[in-house]
Amino acid sequence: MTLVNIKGLKVSFRQHGGQIDAVRGVDIQLAEGESLGIVGESGSGKSVSCLALMRLLPNSATITADRLELDGVDVLKAKPRQMAALRGKVAALIFQDPATTFDPVFTIGHQMVETIRTHRDVSKETALGEAEQLLLKVEIKNAKDVLSYYPHQLSGGMLQRAMIAMALSCRPKVLIADEPTTALDVTIQAQILQLIKDLQAEMGMALIMITHDLGVVAETVDRVVVMYGGRVMEEGTVDQIFDTPKHSYTQSLLASLRAGESRRAEPGTGEPIAPALELRNLSKVYALRRRGRIFSTYVDFPAVRGVNLVLPRNKIVGLVGESGSGKSTTGMMAMRLLEPTAGQILVDGTDISKLDTGALKVFRRRMQVVFQDSYSALDPMMTLAQIIAEPLNIHGVKTPREQTEEALSWLERVGMDRSFGNRYPHELSGGQRQRVAIARALILGPSVLVADEPTSALDVTVKAQIIGLLKNLQKQMGLSMLFISHDLSVVRSLTDSVVVMYKGRVVEQAPTANIFANPRHPYTRSLLDAIPVTNPRDRRERSFITAEDITAGTPRLTRSSLAAEAAAGDIPQLVSVAPGHLVEAIVTN
Amino acid sequence: MIVYLIKRLLSVAVTFFIVSLVIFLMMHAVPGGPFTEKDMPLSEAVKAQLNARLGLDQPLWVQYTNYMVGVLQGNWGVPYQSPGETVISLLQQAWIPSLILGGSGVIIGAALGILIGMAAALRRNSWIDYLASTLSVLGLTIPVFVISMLLILIFAVWLNWLPASGWGKPERWILPIAAYAAIPLATYARYTRSAMLDTLNRPFVTALRAKGLSERRIIFQHVLRNSAIPMVTVFLPMFMGTATGSIFVEAMFRIPGLGSYFVSSIENRDYPLEMALVLMFTIGICFAYLISDIAYAWLNPRIRLGDDAK
Repeated sequence: MTLVNIKGLKVSFRQHGGQIDAVRGVDIQLAEGESLGIVGESGSGKSVSCLALMRLLPNSATITADRLELDGVDVLKAKPRQMAALRGKVAALIFQDPATTFDPVFTIGHQMVETIRTHRDVSKETALGEAEQLLLKVEIKNAKDVLSYYPHQLSGGMLQRAMIAMALSCRPKVLIADEPTTALDVTIQAQILQLIKDLQAEMGMALIMITHDLGVVAETVDRVVVMYGGRVMEEGTVDQIFDTPKHSYTQSLLASLRAGESRRAEPGTGEPIAPALELRNLSKVYALRRRGRIFSTYVDFPAVRGVNLVLPRNKIVGLVGESGSGKSTTGMMAMRLLEPTAGQILVDGTDISKLDTGALKVFRRRMQVVFQDSYSALDPMMTLAQIIAEPLNIHGVKTPREQTEEALSWLERVGMDRSFGNRYPHELSGGQRQRVAIARALILGPSVLVADEPTSALDVTVKAQIIGLLKNLQKQMGLSMLFISHDLSVVRSLTDSVVVMYKGRVVEQAPTANIFANPRHPYTRSLLDAIPVTNPRDRRERSFITAEDITAGTPRLTRSSLAAEAAAGDIPQLVSVAPGHLVEAIVTN
Repeated sequence: MIVYLIKRLLSVAVTFFIVSLVIFLMMHAVPGGPFTEKDMPLSEAVKAQLNARLGLDQPLWVQYTNYMVGVLQGNWGVPYQSPGETVISLLQQAWIPSLILGGSGVIIGAALGILIGMAAALRRNSWIDYLASTLSVLGLTIPVFVISMLLILIFAVWLNWLPASGWGKPERWILPIAAYAAIPLATYARYTRSAMLDTLNRPFVTALRAKGLSERRIIFQHVLRNSAIPMVTVFLPMFMGTATGSIFVEAMFRIPGLGSYFVSSIENRDYPLEMALVLMFTIGICFAYLISDIAYAWLNPRIRLGDDAK
């Protein structure tokens, strides 16, 4: 039976000075128990279509359709009360960012019980019992405690599990997941996708997976709808879409997904010049405040523990790890934007870790940074020309007229029109803002660039463009780049070597091809394993490893198997297993 | 919680002493004194005698210490302008009208403001939204003495519905209460509207709708509670803020309240009365903030439980 029947759906939003057509004639059908992926970048109308189906769009939206039916009910004609009865019961939604989709002032238990009791006439106690069972079902072990937690007390992954549990509480016929893993770490993403897949099979629900990530689609669904600019570009089974994409947009999506795979190991050329940037034993300890009864005590929390890292000239080094691994902290310390607790930072052979502000200013010209959130990284009150020219201004390079001229020519270099010089950041798209941030970072001609997750807030096609831009500029300018990311497919296509961080330590480092071909550390392996497949045929059951597994799985190597000399001992140390390939291991005789 | 309260109470005490010291020094730093009238100057001998009797000839730090010791024992001194009574007995008569009129004015104004603000947020861009915006702009831009004059002009002079001024019968209270209510009403309508709109635009509201909750439950259970968090921080401090408004309102409506003493005590260099008024106002503000902070923590689990509970 058809659960969702959408024919000729059009949605437009009234805005100042006209209207925006977000959806321009979309047909989507979904049968009971079926799983469907809707793929497209932001603005393609994929979320809007599903929100229209639930009639959850704001009043500024005008919805028209030949047919818009959910479980046989005409959504456009249904009364508010009828619609409320459908929501949560027939179709349940989970959203992108679980941290913002729970009401912050009520406990998880309260919000779950509320959902259950909205649709079914059961007592509070019964509902609470059911909520606990549901939390156990989504693999939350301390379910009883979690019921009394407030949303801010749970991690993103746990919250998304709780969100799924809440969505399942009334046994919906279809689960609509709107980018459910975009805000999560790659290892957590794999777990959540697996969970959704398992639950869907177990409960026999239909699934609509809305995503910009073809990898997520390859992992989870049977049928795919590709959307662009408010229209359906292509529709077919997941194999058809991946094997024989008809539409050029689908092809370009697939190309950017597979960009990382074609690279092969290049012959190493060992040139012993002083590296552009070297970190020696760099550490950062934060004092965490523990509230006591009368006095607060402070506990040392080592965010980064003795990191050694070499960034060779003209190379791109990827620094990967999940959030909390210390990779961004390391990057910020390398820029002296954060004071290291101990260790040295060598730029072109000079230690800058102890320099005062004045002496540091000279070095600031040589090292620049691009941040993840381009919106907050650009001053909203300045024009683009002012923003890009500001580094020249700070360092007193050239006359104001020349500065502006150079800023405008940099706009062109990063692929934007000179006429954008008078615009303000809020007028730009995310990709354009990131281009401006890159122009600002490079206008002084630095030798070192730290890019901290510069593409993780961007759509997949825009992401590919920005990566391409960074690659070209790196080549043209001979930049040495430290590329911080949790996105391993980007790292694979961009970097020369990779450093893997886990809990503030470097656990493995090697040329990029080696890392992907022959990962030695269990954490590296789990990171690689969590990358979504690029072909639906490669789908597999995944096993997830815990922190204990990683500790237990630390490689044990005999001294003879090492490529360089190291002393035996019980404490894990970073040893060389092949030229340029270091792994944290326990060395035995 | 108890530890937090003790810490906060200690900081109130510290604030109290700092304010008392600063005010005391400023008061004495201003040239002149209680007995330096230009029109009918007293002879030097009389002046010296008066100063000696009131202890004003002693060094400043002795005067300050004596005063503060008295205050801590509950003795706020004798006002110079009516030596027959104490500061406390004088203020006891005066604060009743101020509290009744000011208090009910603020409460009525705040309640109406919250209702109008809610209605404006829920019916955005409707007539009630425009009315709310107009009201809050008017309330915030027109000074309270102009509002008072307009009220008197319209309701007492033209329509002749209500008495223009005075104290005593309840019908005399209506106009001053309306004047007191104007600013809280405007401010609250504005705050409520923007706090509600902020909350309504947050993703969890869509998530609540997606769960199938009724609109009424979403508004009254979730949106109001979340909107209250930013609002509690302004509620009580503003309550104290109307005390300064009382200077104008009470003058316009000829109400024998605290307001007139704020001005006369400074004009007449009535040191004990001036100190008492400022210090009581200080304590009021301190406790208003303390209570707001407690309410804020109570409403917001992130503060109540700390951020590091992960």
